Parts: sequence; structure tokens; C-alpha cells
Amino acid sequence: MTAMYLFLAAMLLPMLSGLFLLFFQGKLKNRTLKCILIFLVMALTAGLTVRLMCFEDYQLVLWHLTDKLDILVRMDNMTRLFAGMTVTAWTLGGVFAFEYMKHEEKEDRYFGFYLIVMGVLIGLDHAGNLITLYLFFELMTLSSLPLVLHTLTHDAVMAGLKYLFYSVAGAFLALFGIFYLYAHGAGLPFCEGGYLMVLDAYSGSGKMTLLVLMLMIVGFGTKAGMFPLHGWLPTAHPVAPAPASAVLSGIITKSGVLAIIRVVFYTVGADVLRGSWVQYTWMTLALITVFMGSMMAYKEQVLKKRLAYSTVSQVSYILFGLSVLNQDGMVGALSHFVFHSVVKDCLFLVAGVIIYKTGKKTVKELTGIGKEMPITMWCFTLVSITLVGIPPTSGFISKWYLAEGSLQTGIGGYAWFGPVVLLLSAMLTAGYLLPISIQSFFPGEGYHYQELRKKEPNLLMLIPMLLFTAAAVVFGMFPGRFLGFLQMTAADVIR
Amino acid sequence: MGPNLWANIDEVAAVILFGIGFTTLLLHKNMIKKIIGLNIMDTAVYLFLAAMGYVDNRLAPIVENGVTDVDAYINPIPSGLVLTGIVVSVSVTALMLSLTIRLYRKYHSLDLDEILIRMQKEELT
Amino acid sequence: MNLARNFVENFPCFSIVLCMVAGILSTPIKGNHAKRITLLVVILVTCMSAATFLYVVSTGTSFVYTMGKYPAPWGNEIRAGVLETMLATVFSLVMLFSLLGGMDHVFKDIPEEKINLYFILVDLLLSSLLAIIYTNDLFTGYVFVEINTIAACGMIMIRKIGRSLVAATRYMVMSLIGSGLFLIGLAMLYDITGHLLMENAHLVMNQLVQEGKYSVPLLVIISFITVGLAIKSGLYPFHSWMPDAYGYSTVSSSSILSSLVSKSYIILLIKIFYRVIGFDNIVNSKIVDVLFVFGLAGMVMGSVGAIMAKDIYRMIAFSSVAQIGYVYMGIGLETEAGMVAAIFHILTHAITKSLLFLAAKGLNNVSGRKRVFYALQGSAFRNPLAGVAFLVGSLSMVGIPMLSGFISKLLFATAALGAAREKVLITLIVLAVSTILNAIYFLHTVVRIYTPVHVPEEFKNVHVRVSKGAALAVFSLICMNFILGLLSQPITDLIQVGIAMFA
Repeated sequence: MTAMYLFLAAMLLPMLSGLFLLFFQGKLKNRTLKCILIFLVMALTAGLTVRLMCFEDYQLVLWHLTDKLDILVRMDNMTRLFAGMTVTAWTLGGVFAFEYMKHEEKEDRYFGFYLIVMGVLIGLDHAGNLITLYLFFELMTLSSLPLVLHTLTHDAVMAGLKYLFYSVAGAFLALFGIFYLYAHGAGLPFCEGGYLMVLDAYSGSGKMTLLVLMLMIVGFGTKAGMFPLHGWLPTAHPVAPAPASAVLSGIITKSGVLAIIRVVFYTVGADVLRGSWVQYTWMTLALITVFMGSMMAYKEQVLKKRLAYSTVSQVSYILFGLSVLNQDGMVGALSHFVFHSVVKDCLFLVAGVIIYKTGKKTVKELTGIGKEMPITMWCFTLVSITLVGIPPTSGFISKWYLAEGSLQTGIGGYAWFGPVVLLLSAMLTAGYLLPISIQSFFPGEGYHYQELRKKEPNLLMLIPMLLFTAAAVVFGMFPGRFLGFLQMTAADVIR
Repeated sequence: MGPNLWANIDEVAAVILFGIGFTTLLLHKNMIKKIIGLNIMDTAVYLFLAAMGYVDNRLAPIVENGVTDVDAYINPIPSGLVLTGIVVSVSVTALMLSLTIRLYRKYHSLDLDEILIRMQKEELT
Repeated sequence: MNLARNFVENFPCFSIVLCMVAGILSTPIKGNHAKRITLLVVILVTCMSAATFLYVVSTGTSFVYTMGKYPAPWGNEIRAGVLETMLATVFSLVMLFSLLGGMDHVFKDIPEEKINLYFILVDLLLSSLLAIIYTNDLFTGYVFVEINTIAACGMIMIRKIGRSLVAATRYMVMSLIGSGLFLIGLAMLYDITGHLLMENAHLVMNQLVQEGKYSVPLLVIISFITVGLAIKSGLYPFHSWMPDAYGYSTVSSSSILSSLVSKSYIILLIKIFYRVIGFDNIVNSKIVDVLFVFGLAGMVMGSVGAIMAKDIYRMIAFSSVAQIGYVYMGIGLETEAGMVAAIFHILTHAITKSLLFLAAKGLNNVSGRKRVFYALQGSAFRNPLAGVAFLVGSLSMVGIPMLSGFISKLLFATAALGAAREKVLITLIVLAVSTILNAIYFLHTVVRIYTPVHVPEEFKNVHVRVSKGAALAVFSLICMNFILGLLSQPITDLIQVGIAMFA
């Protein structure tokens, strides 16, 4: 019972605060007070979520929609992982936004929706069956839309509509699958390892089941930016304000990943897909996205767009790790989830700082900026190295497990093809991130040293970036307990 | 089929008239012709009903000379239906005619296509 | 009238007669008083229907009420079961809220001396809706269908603008074509079975089918009746009158027409299917397959039309075309689950469509009475109540869980999966495609009304005072939507019980 109340509190507190803020826009004049209150809401929600995580695993019915369908809430290791990451990143992003939003208008509306999405995501992470997941998934799309639309320029509105349509199309593809599974008895709560739905049990419609699963993977994969429905990501993420881009890339894309995990590992069971054409297609799509995302990022000149393409690529690393359907792959995928979120949040925050302080948006303009804001650019450099996957940073660990997982699949060409693509992509990643760092610290000829001024951002912006960087590095050096936790999670789910 | 057709000639004629009325209502552009078609269509159905209810050599179902034997009269129900139907038909015709008058006063035409064109022109100005 | 075993059993008859009497009494009375009488009558009808509903649920069977001194098969009857009373209650509630929501516009759009006429028409319409729902006699059904048509046409044309007249004319022509077909079908049915009361006709029908006589005439009769009623309810491709009729009448009329009037014909059709012809005979005649195909076509073409629409009313009207397609698809699935889904969708659509029309009018008001999308940008901020109403209505149409539209889609999808083999795949595909199309135009409009990007200058500081009645109406419709979405299981069960009682 207490778990139910805590959950409702954790979910409703940010949502109601957000709604409150939306209705009373502009009424609270004292900005510092407002920011402190928002911070308290976020911190309290984070606290409640962490307290929830300390409970034993549970499953609770919130509401009976129909005889066979409930709105169900659940706690397990996957929830702990995702919820923990969500509240941390959200709080830090919020702190950053306190300073950044001075640069933009209508911050009340921004924070209002920001808090609402926080509540919705907590609901999503705790979802205990597919219908609840779908409910929060749709709510998340709808409530994060205003974050993308925030600046209300023509481009922003177009980007927002594109985001909306792609997301809705993806969600409906998945809904189709949910109805199908429901009709075959799967309004059921999630269960580790899935219900091992033997294909024969569907009286000869085994092919249909596989097709439906593929549609669900592609549908939920839209949110995660997987080819072929990734087109919205590079348009929508850059156009949002920087802290919003950070959480869009860092957390919201991962909700698509969570949905796929729940479908494949907690509803249907990995064995159903193992060796089937669905698995091959999934792996192929993921690898294509990995490579294509990196290539596009390499060519892209606008910084935020480059980071968006990078997200497309990196999230598909996670999807690839899941698609190999073994424990190492899953550990690689989950660890990459954490590390990529941390890194991408930090990268977008840096981009935000650069825009806030200098207004520079393209990569070419960034020469010598390291001299002006050294701490910021050091953060950028460290997390870039993480993303590339150079030891002893955390990125190396996730890539290692991903490669291990790929080698173990035993599926013909993929065994070695996977690591090759990952390696190529790593090189491209280095190619699109490291030159920025190098240029910023060593601007070479033609740089006007006389005009050098310190433009380091203030503490509100620095602390989140530093925390993210620290996380990226520390996890890399002391990964033991974290990896142990992930291995335990993976073992529960994949036999 | 021949003898059957002849025996039920009233119903056959009714159905043919129904078809004529129906097509006129559907396809003609002139409002008055549409209304005429409507009337033909409805009247055809009444013919059908009345013919159906008729039995040879019997009287209309109004008690005459105290004869209350059922076999002396035709089936009274279709007559009742026809009477009700006529009322409905008259109401609908009245409504359609009043619409036509209103349209004519506004657009000075009885042709539905022409009215549409004039209406759209009016909207643009 | 005979005194029924229980006083409650008189209520259906009372409701019908009350509405008619109210209509007659309103003739010499001025607009304002007529309004009060009508509202009172609708509230009374709602209460009576609800009481009958509870009564029927508690006894577990439907009851037959003889109208007049003569018993069956010579007299007239009405019959009330769970389904009929539930529909009557919901329909009268929706009518009440539509009237309340559009009341201001009734007084603005209609010339003053004609306002009492409007309320007379509303009373007549309510009586004919109730009669169609309750009737047990075929010809009575026909007469009230005609009264329905006349009242509906009157409600459209009472506004004197040119477009309303043309819309009313086109509506009448299409309706009359449908009525004509229905009438001749009925005449032939009477010819063959010799009965007008539904149960008696059914007995004779069964006999005839068993003996194998008159099989061609039966097919013709079934086709005429079905096509006639389908044309009247606006099944694709007979929907061309809908956008104009809904777009250019006063908002209460649009709301009542789209939510209730079209549905009454579908309910009559379902009644005839179950009670006169027998569901098995219908399936054998393959006429449901025709309805199924046209329903699917309507679902897609209606959505396509909505996407291409340039103003908000046309968009909502085309959406109605699509939703009626859903209902026919449900009927066309030939299973009980499909029928339950279709009836649940009738309820959902009645509530949601009213809400959408009221909201659209509200948004329209603060945009200089312009209806094109360009003018509506950002209007949700100028009229917050209408914005929220439109948001809830759209989300319900799109199918977000917790709202009624989601349950509709769930029921349809489940029914589709249980249907005959050939129909499963095509139904699911069309369902998915039309849902995506639905989402496109509704969510696009929601984004438009909430993003004040290029707001034309003259609208910038317009604010509107929403009357209490309108606010109450909108709020209640939103609540009803949530109730259907969250508490759907008992309602679905009741519908199932109702259908079992229907036959």
C-alpha cells in the first residue's frame, strides 16, 4: 500500500506542479523563489523515486480499465535503472535550465511542461503491462511536444509536427501489436523472461506473431531513432532549447528502448525471436542506424544537429546490444544506456553553454573557445573520449560488452560484422567529436589572442556538467558494482 | 412468369413508377421536378400497398348496413398505412416546396447546380 | 393506455408523448419560455429513461408496452430493454448538453420570431428519436423516421443564410431517397409476412425461410431496407450532404444531428436485423458484407477528406463520416463482439462529436467567426475552455487510454481478431491506417490551436465570456467521456445483455 501512495506521489507531484505552473504563468514574480521551488519539486520527486526503489520488487494495480486490462505499476531492476537515470538527469537538466532559460522567453511554460514530462516518465518507467506503457508513452509524446515547440518559430513548429507525426505513427504501429498480443492473452503483467509464448500456441499464426513483433520493434524504435523512422530526431532535437535537447536525447529516446525491452524480454520472451528473421532484421536495422548516424554526424556542421545524429547512432548501439539476445549484449546495452545518457546530456549542456555565452552554433566557429571556457571544454573532451570508447572511460566498458555479445550470437556473419561496424562507428565518433576539442584548445594561426575573455558560465550551469563528466569517468574506473547489478538484471531476463 | 406478371400487374406498375420517381428525385437538377419525382415515388408505394390490400368484389373497410362480417371488406390495414403515408408525404412535400421558394427568392433559380454556382460566387464577394 | 404492472413501465410512452405535447404547447409561446419548456422536458425525459433503465436492469428482461386497447398482432407496441433504455438515457443527456452548450448561438443565429419554432423542432426530434429507439412496429418506425428527417431539416434551415438552405435541400433529397427505399422495402415485407409488429413478422419470416419460399423477394427486401437506412445515416458514398449540413447550421443543430440523428437510423437497422429478419438470415444474405466493405471505405475516405479539409467544421464532419464507417464495419463483422463494439462506438461518438462541435464553435467565436485554420491559430489561449474541450475530444478520437475512444478501438480490434478469417487482416489494416490518419488531422489541429505563431492582429486581444450553461455542458461531456473510458466494463457487459434481450 505504501508503495502505491509513494508511487502516486512521485508521479503526481511533478505533474501537478507543472500544471500549476502552467496555469499561473507569470504570476510568481520572484524568480529565485520560483527556481528554488521547482528545484525542491524535482529533488523531492527524485527522493520519492529513490525511496520507492528500495522496496522489494512489487506489482500493483492502479485501476481496472476493463475485466482483462488493468493499469499496472511494477518495480524491478529495470525500473530501478531507468527511473534512477531519469530523475537524476532530469534534476540536473532542470538546474542547468534555471540559468539557461534567462536567455529564452516564457520559461514558466518550459518548466511547466518539463515537470509534467518528469511525472509521465516516472509513470512510464514503472509501467507494469503493455497498456500502461502505451498510455504513458503517448502522454510522453504529447507533453514533450511543447518542449520542442518552445521557441514557436516556424522551424520549431514544423519540427514539432514532424516529431508528433513520427511518434504517433510509431506508437500506433506498436498499438497494433499490443492489441494483437492482448487478444492472445497478453494483457498480462510483465514477467521476467516473458511468457515464452510458443508460436504454435497461436494456432498456426506464428508468422503473424513474428510480423507483429517486428512492427512493435519498429514502432517503438521510432522513439529511439532507429532506421527507418529516425527522420524526426535530427530535426526536432536541435530546435528545442538546449536543456530540453539534452533530456530529449538522453532520456526520452531511451523510453523507446525501455518499451522494446519490455516487449521482447518481459512479455514475449527472447527465445521466440532467437534465430528468426525478426532478429536478423532488427540487428541489421540497428547496425545501419549506427553507421549512418555516425556518417551524418561527421558531415554535419551545426553543433546541435551533429549531436542529434550522434544520438541516432548511439541509441542504436543499445538496440543492437539488445538484439543479440544474450546476457553480455544486454549488459552492454544497459550500460551504454547509462553512459550515453550521461555523456549526451553533458554534450548538449555544453552546446547550450556555448550558445548562451557566445551565440555560436556551428562547429567552425568554435576555434579557440577552449581558451575562453576551459572547464566547459574539458568536460566536453572527457565525455567525448568516453563516447568514443577509449579506456579507462566508461564508454569502453559498454563497447566491450557489446562486442562480446555480438561475437556470441552465433549468427553467421553478424558475429564479426557487428564489432566491425561498432569499431568503424567509434572511429567516426572520434572524428566528429575530438576535432572540436582539439580546435578549441589549439586554435592555431589566425586566432586573436588579444580578444580573449573568460566566458566561463556560472555555477548553475557548471555543476550539472561537472557531475555528468564525473559520472562518466568514475563509472569507467570503478564499474564493479554497477556491472554486477546489470549482470544480475540480464541474468533474470535471458536464460 | 407471364401469367404471374399479369395477375400482379398493379404491383408491377407500382414498382416501375417507384423506379421512375426515384430516378427523377435523384438525377434531375430542377427542384420542382425533384419534388414531382418524390411524389411519384411515394404515390407508387401507396399504389403498391393499396393493390396489395385489395380483394376482389369486396367493399371498402367502412361498416355499411351493419354488416360486420370480416369477409365483406378488403384488408383495412394497407388503407390505414396509405392514409398515414399520404400525411407524411404531404408534410415532406410542403417542406421541400418551402425550401424551393426560399432558394428561388435568394438565388433566382430552380436549378440546383446553378444555385450552387451562385452561392459560391456570393461567398467570394 | 393500459396501466402497466409497474408505474415505471409507462415511462417510455410518457417520454414520447411528453415531448410531442411540449412541442405543440410551445407554438404560441415566445422564444425564452419555449427554451425553458424544452430544457425541462429534456431533463424529465432523461430522468424517466434512467429510471426505466434501472428498472429493466433489475428485472433482467425487457417489457412490452401496448399502445392503445388492441393487443398484438393488431395493435401497436413499444418495447424497452436494457439497450433501448441505455441509448435513450445517453441520447437525451447528449441532447441536453448540446442544447445548453449552443444556447447562446441559438439566440444569435436564429431570427427572434422563429426561436420558439426551433425549440418545437427540438421537441419533435427528441420524441421521434425516442420512438425510433423504442418502437416495436415497423410502420411506426417509418413514420417517426420521417418526422426525424423533417425535424432535422427544419433545424438546419432555420438559419436563413444561403448555405444553410442549400445544405438543407441536399440533406432532404438524400434523406428522401433513403426513406423511399426503406418504405418500399417495408411495404414488400408487409406483403410477404402480413404483419407489422416485429415479433410477429419475425415468426412468419422464419417460417418462410425454412420453407425456402420467397427467397428472392426476401433478398430484395433486405437490400432495400438496409440501403435505405444506410443512405439516411450517411454511410460512404452517401455522405456528401454531411459537411455542408453540419457546417452551416447552428451549433446545437450540428451537434445533435451528427451525434444522434444519424445514429438513430443505425439503431433502427440493427433492430430490424435482430428482431424482424433474424441475424442468421442477414448473414446468409451477404448484405452485411456490403455494409462491411462500405464501412471500411468510409473509414479511410472520411479520414482522407478530413485531412484535405480547409476549415474546422468540414474536418469534423468528415471525421463523422469515418466514425460512421467504423460502426458499419463493426456491424459487418457478423459477430456479437462486433455488434457490441459498434454500439459502444455509437455511444462514444455521440458524446465526443458533440464535444468537438461545441469546442469548434467556441474557438471559432474568438477568431472573428472565421473557420479556416489560419484564423484559428492560438485560439485555445483566447478561449481556454474550448481549447481544453477540443483537446479532450481529439485525444478521445485518437485513442489515448483512459478516454472512451481507446476502449472503442480496443473493442473493434478484439472483435476483428475474432471474426471470419477473410475479414481479420483487412479490418486490422484499415483500422490501423484510419487511426493513424485520424491522429494526423486531429493532433495537427490541436497543435494549431495551441501555437500562436502568426496570429492575425485583430484577434490578439479578444476574450470571450463563456456562459455558465455552456461551461456546464462542456464539462459534463468531458466527464461522460472519461466515465466511458475508465468504467467501460460494466457498460460493455450491459450492452451485451441488451443485445441478448434485443432478439
